[in-house]
Amino acid sequence: MIDAQRIDLSFDGTNLVLRGVDLQVGAGEFVALAGPSGCGKTTVLNLCAGLVDLPVGQRLRVAGEPPALGSRNVAYMLARDSLFPWLNALDNAAFGLKVRGVPVSEARERAAVMLKRVGLSGAEYQLPKALSQGMRQRVALARTFAMPSPLLLMDEPFGALDAQTKLQLQDLLLQLCQDGNRTVLFVTHDLSEAVALADRVVVMSSRPGRIVADVQVPLQRPRSIRELQTSDDFNHTYAQVWKHLEEGWVHHEG
Amino acid sequence: MKGKTLRTLFQHALFLCVVLGLWEWGARVGWIDPSFVGSPLGIITFTLENFTNARLWGDLGWTLLAVFSSFVIGSIAAMITGLAFVTWPKLEFFCDPYVSAFNVLPRIALVPLFILWFGLGIGSKIALGVSLTFFIVLSSTVAGIRGVSQDHVTLTRTLGASSRQMFFSVTLPGAIPVLFSGLRLGVIYALLGVVGAEVIASERGLGQQLAYLGSTFNVNGVWSLLFDLALIGVLIMKLMNWIERRLLHWQ
Repeated sequence: MIDAQRIDLSFDGTNLVLRGVDLQVGAGEFVALAGPSGCGKTTVLNLCAGLVDLPVGQRLRVAGEPPALGSRNVAYMLARDSLFPWLNALDNAAFGLKVRGVPVSEARERAAVMLKRVGLSGAEYQLPKALSQGMRQRVALARTFAMPSPLLLMDEPFGALDAQTKLQLQDLLLQLCQDGNRTVLFVTHDLSEAVALADRVVVMSSRPGRIVADVQVPLQRPRSIRELQTSDDFNHTYAQVWKHLEEGWVHHEG
Repeated sequence: MKGKTLRTLFQHALFLCVVLGLWEWGARVGWIDPSFVGSPLGIITFTLENFTNARLWGDLGWTLLAVFSSFVIGSIAAMITGLAFVTWPKLEFFCDPYVSAFNVLPRIALVPLFILWFGLGIGSKIALGVSLTFFIVLSSTVAGIRGVSQDHVTLTRTLGASSRQMFFSVTLPGAIPVLFSGLRLGVIYALLGVVGAEVIASERGLGQQLAYLGSTFNVNGVWSLLFDLALIGVLIMKLMNWIERRLLHWQ
């Protein structure tokens, strides 16, 4: 689904933001991209979404095609919920479908189904100001999953939530991913979140961002966030990812 | 809450009664010269008589038409220009010195020129109203559009939205809160411009009536018209607040 080969990227022509990034994500895989702040995780996501232009001569394929802004193969979820305050929960959840040309009534029907899936039936006509942070992020999840895009790009979607809400939404995300055969590239700086959700955790070093490790997560699906906390495999993988991350820092500082 | 409102109303009523009573008493006993500052009873008498005068309503309609026209023309022109500035920043950069120079110019000084160009009729009043409204709405349009959430813009771009979708679904609704504060100020400046131009030279309008009453030493009449103008301003603000509440109910 994603094939990036030795990508170098610089915004100003002198300082590299990414150096030799090799990343392959297969169809149906859930890959977490972890690393310290400013290492270029979001830049990788933005390259895949077509938000950042790929330098000439670099090779990146998304669903077999060069990345293109607005591609129907891709649904993007930002760090903040980015709900439109003037639209109710239903119209926010239907927004992506409507922009992509789905008739309004059908978009609303599909959005209503997704709102029910994320546990928000009854809140369809609430404005974002009336929703809690967790509910708002559920609407954003509904908006992302309502689109039939095979590739989901998620940029720290739970980064701003409190610990309890975060665990609930991680569980919800696991369920949503299990139900549909989606490929997910998930950016996070939270290692336990990366290990709990992903099939693979790709670790990046500090700027210029390089991939320093690609760790397979040996946890079966379906998973439960609550049970994972006491799993030996979870703790072992967490320690392994942490070690790679530390090595990335040492290497960078050295 | 209701008791507090009643108490506030009572305090204002008491304050006005004391001030107006002292003023009337001072005018009657000769402490204040009523031919220079008028008297409350004289003002009330003039106001009641003027309400039955067809001339007042004709002048009011004339002034309101000029205010409405200035506001609509000035606001639409400013919103189109603001959108063009945000879309093509080089255009804004090029126009900036001219816009800044014109903006700092005391617009009332343009009245002689506007009278030469558009005559003593409604045209010169609209021109001055437009020149005042335009710059206020322009700066709020630019600030409103630039203040649209970048998250909203990014999200909508990733969905492949057309320029039209981006404008009507994201830019316009996102800019309305700031834009509306400019519109609210713009309508008051339109009133200021129109009445100011009427006072200087006009065939009709409340400003022209005000200038005539002043020049004939009818101080009670001047006070009465000032009261009418303040009332118009308050009613316009109430209308704008009502529209804002309906448009921005989501805030």
